[in-house]
Amino acid sequence: MTETSAIVILIAAILTNNILLTNFLGMCSFVACSGQIRTAVGLGIAVTFVLTMTTAINYAVYYGILISAEEAAELGRAAPLLSTDITHLSFIVFIAVIAAFVQLVEMFVERFSPRLYFALGIFLPLITVNCAILGASLFMVIRGYNFAQSVGFGFGAGVGWALAIILMAGLRQKMNYSNIPEPFRGVPIAMIVTCVIAMAFMGFAGMVAIQ
Amino acid sequence: MKQGSFYTLGYAGALGSVCALLLTAASSFTAPYRLANADAEMKRNILDVLGVRYSPDASSRQLLEVFAAKVKQEDSGELTLYRYIPPADSGEVETVAVAFAGPGLWGPIKGLIALGPDAETIRGLTFYEQEETPGLGGEIASQSFREQFEGKKIVDEAGNVGIIIKSGGQSAINKVDAITGATMTCDKVEVILNEAVRKIVKEFKK
Amino acid sequence: MANSQPPLVPCSKGLCGGKGLLTLKEGAWSNNPLAIQMLGICSALAVTNRLESSLVMGAALIFVSACSNLFVSLLRKHTPHRIRMIAEVAIIATFVILFDQFLKAFYWDMSKQLGPYVGLIITNCIVMGRAEAFALQNPPLLSVVDGVANGLGYAVILAIIGFFRELFGTGQFFGCVVLGGEWYTPNQLMILAPGAFFALGIVIAIFNALRGPQGEENKK
Repeated sequence: MTETSAIVILIAAILTNNILLTNFLGMCSFVACSGQIRTAVGLGIAVTFVLTMTTAINYAVYYGILISAEEAAELGRAAPLLSTDITHLSFIVFIAVIAAFVQLVEMFVERFSPRLYFALGIFLPLITVNCAILGASLFMVIRGYNFAQSVGFGFGAGVGWALAIILMAGLRQKMNYSNIPEPFRGVPIAMIVTCVIAMAFMGFAGMVAIQ
Repeated sequence: MKQGSFYTLGYAGALGSVCALLLTAASSFTAPYRLANADAEMKRNILDVLGVRYSPDASSRQLLEVFAAKVKQEDSGELTLYRYIPPADSGEVETVAVAFAGPGLWGPIKGLIALGPDAETIRGLTFYEQEETPGLGGEIASQSFREQFEGKKIVDEAGNVGIIIKSGGQSAINKVDAITGATMTCDKVEVILNEAVRKIVKEFKK
Repeated sequence: MANSQPPLVPCSKGLCGGKGLLTLKEGAWSNNPLAIQMLGICSALAVTNRLESSLVMGAALIFVSACSNLFVSLLRKHTPHRIRMIAEVAIIATFVILFDQFLKAFYWDMSKQLGPYVGLIITNCIVMGRAEAFALQNPPLLSVVDGVANGLGYAVILAIIGFFRELFGTGQFFGCVVLGGEWYTPNQLMILAPGAFFALGIVIAIFNALRGPQGEENKK
């Protein structure tokens, strides 16, 4: 548990505890991103939406169904639906929730905005296996966030991820014109650039001030 | 078409059931080991802070045995005390450990504080759970930060109860240096420790 | 007597239709999941701050990839197309949780070190990728070989990164101090996030250099 306010957790998730630059989650899409800023922005918005919603839903599922009655009493919460402890199924349940939600979003987008659906293409179903989304739910459980903190964390993590991926896309567009040695072309130089970005973001650690 | 949907649902149901069954079986099989490990880890933390010696590669069961033999658990008022009374000729001091817990910056901070027989001198401090910023707040778990506490007291000369974690200024018997760049975490640690210290002083001065 | 068939012995030539060794080589080297396919980078960065956790993560991936490939392949003719991705995820998640449970039971310290990253193997692109791209179209035993091969290729790269990060970040090898405290100040950045990115970039660059220019098969 922590008393840090949801807003601070949100800002921290964007800058100081960036889910990609500090916790290394969501790297696959990061690496595969084409270097087009427009695609990165679209993907970032989609991921932010899914992250916020699934963190909130998984919060309800975890504390409402998965934990045992004793643990709920210990934490001072209302009794969960089932009194037994089925937290060993939490990974599967979380990923099922995420998959179902992404499927819903996909159907919704296809129905109401075919252009966006076409633009996002294969990326939309791939959001399901984005480690950042499952990771955010897992972190929420580990750090014992309450509901407001969980939502703030989910949203902040999404924005932070989007920020990192947009930065990377922009830098990659520039790198196309650089003379990079053969072995470093592609992923290696992207990794080294990310190293420098991560170092820069470490500097944000001092900016979080709490009342 | 209907056949396809039925089959899909049936398949999904069957797969889901098999997976859940398998996992529940594995979970019940491993439960005693996992619980013993979690228990042994907590006991190991208590043994460490009390300064009890044990074999470095002791198994969970051996740790539980050492704990049962050497440490006495007492419930005293609001606190649970873990008391280590060393053998008379070992030259070691009687030590009491108390657990503390509270909200840190990014997650819970939990640890143990060990006090000498006068219930004032700190013999050891350990943090066994914290989610603070690695390299900054996370350094509270480092040896250099925790070592500062050894020999310090939880009350100062004037009788004021409490530990102060602050860099600079006059040194005192109840004051240690904070970690540079981790003011927030150190403040939270100070609050958490002092809550435990207040309970300890209330208990022992009865 | 004229049509006596040789006994069915599980060997890469026999049951795998002759493709066993090729699959093994491809998975581990020429199509290395980390260096060539660029998958599974998340865990490669997160757990490699110690050599020991890198090895355990590598072992986890070999286990999960092999087992999930096996079952996805066994069920490939029965799985409805619409839910194949969810079915894959369910199978993978089951094996990951199994591994996690047994890790917590028998190797507790490592479980604490790896933390949530064991669970995140579920979303590891390598496992999903191989299940989707290989296990769905290939017979079971070959799929197992592919799973093992990819896991192996991944584990080797992880071990290399873990070795260097632990060595330069803490001066230790498997927890024993190698680079002495007096003359070597551990480079703490190596065990933090930026060091991970840097080490991965360098290792992949060396891998590319060893493989030789694109298009050439450099047998090393």
